[in-house]
Amino acid sequence: MFKYVNQPVEKIDGLALVTGEEKYTDDFSFNNMLYVSVLHSGYAYAKILDIDDSEARKMHGVVEILSYKNVNQILYTTAGQGYPEPSPYDTLLFGNTMRFVGDNVCAVAAETKEIADEAIKKIKVTYKELKPILNLEKSEGSPIIIHKDDGAFPKIPVFYDAKKNIASKVEANVGDFDKAFKKSSKKIEFDFYCSYGAHCAIEPHASVSYLDLRGRLVIISTTQVPFHVRRIVSHVAEIPVSKIRVIKPRLGGGFGGKQEILLEPIVALMTWRTKRPAKLVYSRREVFKSTRCRHEYKTKLEVGYEADGTINALHLDALENAGGYGSHALTVLANAGSKTLPLLNKIENLRFTGMGVYTNLPVGGAYRGYGATEAYPGYAQAIDMVCEDCGLDVVEYYKKWCIKSGETSAIFQALGEGKEGVAMNIGSTSLVECLDEGAKLSDWYAKRKLYGPDSDYNKGKRLKRGIGMVAMMQGSAIPEIDMASAYIKMNDDGSFNLNVGATDLGTGSDTVLAQIASEVLDTPVESFIVYSSDTDFTPFDTGAYASSTTYLSGQAVRKCAEEIKKQILKVGAEMLSLSLDEVELDDSRVVAKGKKKEEVSYAEICQYSMYQKNQFQIQATASHISPKSPPPFAVHFIEIEVDTFTGIIKVLNYTATVDCGTPINPVTSEGQVEGAIVNGLSYALFENYYFSPHGKMLNDTFGKFGVYTAFDVPPIKVKLIKSYEETGPYGAKSISEININGALPAIANAFYNATGKRLHNGPFAPESILKVLSEK
Amino acid sequence: MKLEFKINNTSKALELLPNETLLNVLRNNDFTEVKCGCNEGECGSCTVLLDGKPVNSCQVLAMSVQEKEITTVKGIGTLYTPHLLQKTFVEAGADQCGFCSPGMVLASYSLLKENPKPTREEILVALDGNLCRCTGYVKIVDAVENTAKKLHSNNLVME
Amino acid sequence: MLILFRFSGICLLRTIHLCLPDAGGVVLRDKNFRKIVESINMLHQNLEWFFPHTPEEAVKLIAAQGVILHGGGTRILKTSPKSIKGLVDVGKLNLNYIHHSDKQISIGAASTYDDVIRYSTKTKKLSLLAQALSEAASTPLRNRITIGGSLKDFPIWSSLYAPLLALNAQIEIADKHDKVISLEEYLESGMIKTKHLIKRIIIDDDPHLVGGVKRFALIRFEYPLFTVAVALRAKKKIISEARIYITGVKGRHKHCKRAEHFLIEKELTNDVIHEAVKHFNPKFAADYKYSAEYKEHTSKVFFTDLLQDLKGKL
Repeated sequence: MFKYVNQPVEKIDGLALVTGEEKYTDDFSFNNMLYVSVLHSGYAYAKILDIDDSEARKMHGVVEILSYKNVNQILYTTAGQGYPEPSPYDTLLFGNTMRFVGDNVCAVAAETKEIADEAIKKIKVTYKELKPILNLEKSEGSPIIIHKDDGAFPKIPVFYDAKKNIASKVEANVGDFDKAFKKSSKKIEFDFYCSYGAHCAIEPHASVSYLDLRGRLVIISTTQVPFHVRRIVSHVAEIPVSKIRVIKPRLGGGFGGKQEILLEPIVALMTWRTKRPAKLVYSRREVFKSTRCRHEYKTKLEVGYEADGTINALHLDALENAGGYGSHALTVLANAGSKTLPLLNKIENLRFTGMGVYTNLPVGGAYRGYGATEAYPGYAQAIDMVCEDCGLDVVEYYKKWCIKSGETSAIFQALGEGKEGVAMNIGSTSLVECLDEGAKLSDWYAKRKLYGPDSDYNKGKRLKRGIGMVAMMQGSAIPEIDMASAYIKMNDDGSFNLNVGATDLGTGSDTVLAQIASEVLDTPVESFIVYSSDTDFTPFDTGAYASSTTYLSGQAVRKCAEEIKKQILKVGAEMLSLSLDEVELDDSRVVAKGKKKEEVSYAEICQYSMYQKNQFQIQATASHISPKSPPPFAVHFIEIEVDTFTGIIKVLNYTATVDCGTPINPVTSEGQVEGAIVNGLSYALFENYYFSPHGKMLNDTFGKFGVYTAFDVPPIKVKLIKSYEETGPYGAKSISEININGALPAIANAFYNATGKRLHNGPFAPESILKVLSEK
Repeated sequence: MKLEFKINNTSKALELLPNETLLNVLRNNDFTEVKCGCNEGECGSCTVLLDGKPVNSCQVLAMSVQEKEITTVKGIGTLYTPHLLQKTFVEAGADQCGFCSPGMVLASYSLLKENPKPTREEILVALDGNLCRCTGYVKIVDAVENTAKKLHSNNLVME
Repeated sequence: MLILFRFSGICLLRTIHLCLPDAGGVVLRDKNFRKIVESINMLHQNLEWFFPHTPEEAVKLIAAQGVILHGGGTRILKTSPKSIKGLVDVGKLNLNYIHHSDKQISIGAASTYDDVIRYSTKTKKLSLLAQALSEAASTPLRNRITIGGSLKDFPIWSSLYAPLLALNAQIEIADKHDKVISLEEYLESGMIKTKHLIKRIIIDDDPHLVGGVKRFALIRFEYPLFTVAVALRAKKKIISEARIYITGVKGRHKHCKRAEHFLIEKELTNDVIHEAVKHFNPKFAADYKYSAEYKEHTSKVFFTDLLQDLKGKL
């Protein structure tokens, strides 16, 4: 078994975090630093005719103002993705067209934040207001065109039609849906609407920049993607990559919200022009309004099936609201299909169609779940409907029809990220065990039987109870696109520097990666000095997204540590005068196999290699790409109580069983599950963006948006059920995203179990629930 | 101007403006362990203890607390001398991104100091001003419970 | 003047940190104070602080334009502090107390929500008020929000007013001759809009009064849609006095007199509760989350629930 992997190792930064010692971006301040404030558009759609900043420039303490007048008009995408990005180049850092309330008008750098804020108020902007599109269903083909003659273009060869407001389009077919649907004896068709969502990382977005002693630009930023920041800032600010260093210090949560290049180019330009440090920290309201959010979605399901429950044909159609810009518009859309449809791979005829449209509402982006969150409510309700109609138990149904080890789905190849996907067979899965164990832990069979809309338990009662479930899959990294790398060197005392480009968002990846290296080198986690996310000092990594860090960066670390192991064994063998096949690693030593009497410690080995003979630095680097994206699986069971007088849904119990392969760190893995579940719950029950008739977000504070406190969390049971993924480090797959997807579908199914009615609109806020209950 | 404040058991002269919040004054004077998540009293990242009770320092004008004892998270334990509660937070996995941790630790500390054997409900109430988006709170509440158990089984008094 | 501490807030100093990056990306920090632009005072108005020792002194001070009282400061920081020229801190006025005497409970205006909750836990008194306050805001805010400040500001989501009105609370206002008026009169007379210093709230300690309060909020930390409070007195199960108030409605608060009248001289049976709700008709305004109809409907459900809860207690 494992010694350091699959152990509840404490986070290596833990004590520094809970004693307040660690530094986040806003904790860095520099001598002579400028403070930046950004003016955001109050209009959903407007042309700026003129910006008069003369009054502001006269103010004592104002140093620089950036706007379309003095910033080169360079198209880019704010999406922090691999290059070339699959998101369209449709954004300007400061342009003269405002496409949503919160778009960038201009930025001021001043001696103090107060002066910068005051200067913003003195800037006179003359707008020509345009009629906006504030409804995703009215965008395609509208006479109002959101990206008109601005040169917006896709960076990769994909469908893109700005004249029709289409930011992205995806289609995939397996078998012949139309034919199979037509001849099916039973049919279901319905819609499901998913609202906007906000990440609500407690640390707001922030960036600080300065010039180092040789005139290079250093950016400290709240980012999940330091290497993409370097590349994109270079493009937008026209500064060579060689002159830019990006550092991610501790990060106060990301969830996809910080996979976006928004603040960095602004401070970069301020520093580059003034030669002074510059800091920009967004207020909570700016984070809500101006950064990125979960796309609004409307999905449509068409299912053709037989009385025995056999599904002949399933069509998932997704309409996505990209907002003013197309950040992640294509890839989130593709994932809505690719992370759902392979789950029941025995359905022979599958169709996925999707379209992302521009509107003058806030811009969507990456958000934990990434399309799967939006697609599962429709998909899993459809399966529940088929089972209800055919008198089948849905847990048993999933067990029969779900994808198994050694099996594949044609969807894997049909749907990629901006290009064709990658065919793969499922290696590891404990999905069937997850279904069984979850059913047991939640007392599924008894409760499903006890409840029900016509049950004695519920009939005539004000408070009705129900239980619902969902089975899910996600992915682990983007196959053949994402790359991670690691560097390790050995120190005199037998310790190691482990430098990784991977980005710890607070998930504990620095610790998890050290555990993997520990396992290879059979030396305690404390032996590793982990340094991550610094473009000058750590090797490349695409960043923390697509559930990739443990699976992909972890494998890079493992490969790198294997290299180090070889070098250590070689030096050890030389010191012991033994041949390579006579030695092995044992607890921070090289020992002679078998008798273990002859030994040299890691410290002795490193000192020998540094000072004594055939000197060299024991060091290695390794890179990793993955040929596949093995899905983690999860099954969620939710028991609810519906107050039919008020429409308030109370979650009584939440049970989750999860297959993430080998949990490298069971405690942090559970933490990922619990955090995602609670985030998913609040998204399912009340989180939403409320807009004025002019497209302005109205609930832009934590108090108005509503975020769960500890007090609001229902009892949650989590059980990790191991499998072993051969392509992952020590059998690991991903875990961070999948568990946000369960609340919407499982609550919807539980609601049906309680009331006999289906839900078609998220979030399940009380007034809408009451409306559903009053419908006949 | 400079005024004397009592912070973490020492007297300190801090630079401030008369309309500045305690949060700004603390952060501008190097107490960066006090975090700013919303500046509107709605997230609890900026929690400090005033005479032992948690408050949102962003909702307190610094001028009004000159005579009170201010405690930041470093006042109850440091990296070099961590408090039992802080160690238990790490042990339980209550620390993910850590941005809410100083506030969470202080709110928990204040509770345990007054009520060393809190019920789960009492813990939930005590933490109702501190938002966390990473953990789902499960392990944070565990950490507080575990600390209480350790205090009890080792006959320790919360200090 | 008896002012302990006073100064004007012109300040040109600000903390700047000198940081040098070393090769490993760690930032060395040093401290260096530096004078910055003279114009800073233009942004930070000349805010003055006053720390009077007597209510009389405080009343005199707030007579000046732009000078207001400072209790916990939470509302001042929620609203714009730019128009404020002076703050009169109530910290030294000795208004932080809760006394019990002559079948009355006096709550000093500088008491915090938390003070009231603690008092109630200890003495088992004021439970109606304490229940409402313990659900309001959050622990760190409850430690800071004062009763006086909260009365003066009366935000629409207030959790304080409905229970206090139901309890027929009176308030003492500092004046040449201290004046005691009912909370209801305070609202109706428009006094709430004037500048004044509230010294204390007075609530009858009546063990025969039973009451309940309910607020609509989906999650713990949320501005409630409305708060409804009911206080009843009964003799042999027959209601002799009823006080019913709801806040969050159009015009902020409503005294539900029709429902009160209906309940007098009746016993709380299911039928009576069913009928009483018909006399409970608060009017709401729609907001971006909820329609007026939904609020009205739900407030009736909550009112019914409250009466049901009280049924067994009479």
